[in-house]
Amino acid sequence: MDLNDEELIRRIVEDGDQRAYAQLVHRYQSQLRFSLRQLCDGDQGLADDMAQEAFIKAYKALPAFRGDARFSTWLYRIAYNLVMSHKRKNAPEVNQELVDRAQADESVEESQQLGMARDLQSAMGELSEAQRQAVHLCMQRGFSHEEAASIMKLPLGTVKSHVNRARAKLQTLLQAWREEVVSG
Amino acid sequence: MDSFDQKHSKIDGMTDSALLGNDPEFDAWLSRELKFDEPYLDDNGFCEQVMARLPAPSRRSEKRASRMQYAAVVAASAIVAWQFPFDAVVTEAVRQSISLYSLVGLGLLASLATMTGGILAARR
Repeated sequence: MDLNDEELIRRIVEDGDQRAYAQLVHRYQSQLRFSLRQLCDGDQGLADDMAQEAFIKAYKALPAFRGDARFSTWLYRIAYNLVMSHKRKNAPEVNQELVDRAQADESVEESQQLGMARDLQSAMGELSEAQRQAVHLCMQRGFSHEEAASIMKLPLGTVKSHVNRARAKLQTLLQAWREEVVSG
Repeated sequence: MDSFDQKHSKIDGMTDSALLGNDPEFDAWLSRELKFDEPYLDDNGFCEQVMARLPAPSRRSEKRASRMQYAAVVAASAIVAWQFPFDAVVTEAVRQSISLYSLVGLGLLASLATMTGGILAARR
């Protein structure tokens, strides 16, 4: 039976039901790991470690979760904090070999994808880090601007500006694809 | 035709209000394409690793349940004691010289009633 997040959280906090938490981990692991891979510049190992830490930290902090925000927003906020904190501490120690290997693996996969996907990734690569994250959270994950601002710890206006500018850039860069789709 | 850099500089020079007037269809299209492009990452033991590292579940809820059961038993006992006609029984016992066996039986009955009340209250 698929229970909603609120019911699962109630079972975890009130009954100490760890199986309920396993359901939450299973529900969000793919999305969170994928998002963190982007935030970690393709370092899959680091992204998975950070995702694991985020889930553990979230579990420990669950009794204090007041439900003001959605669980997913709260979880993303924890994960983004962890990654940003890690980046600040370990900025010069990025394992370039691992990153290159992961990117090479991705390139092989990408080459097998449709041209649209490849060009979309390429266009996303033209955005600034903040713009990419804002677009990812708002347009791919479906978070509201307010939620994205809370996750990224940025003012709401800044996030809106990032999204608008990113959207305008992407619209220009992907114009040819859209016209092709529209014209069939 | 504009070069790539020219396109970029045009966008960067635009105000946010100018950017806001964008095509809503584009948003829907972009959102759809971004989601379509995203692979589902298999668990591959990720969930198990997280669960293995979680601290033991809090015993707070267990303790809370125990406290409630004790409270229910005490409450039930109090009700039984309140309703039980001690003075009448004692008076009657003295008067009729009730045998020790009857008193023991009465005690057992009272205990049974208390326990039943406690269990029922705890289940609720």
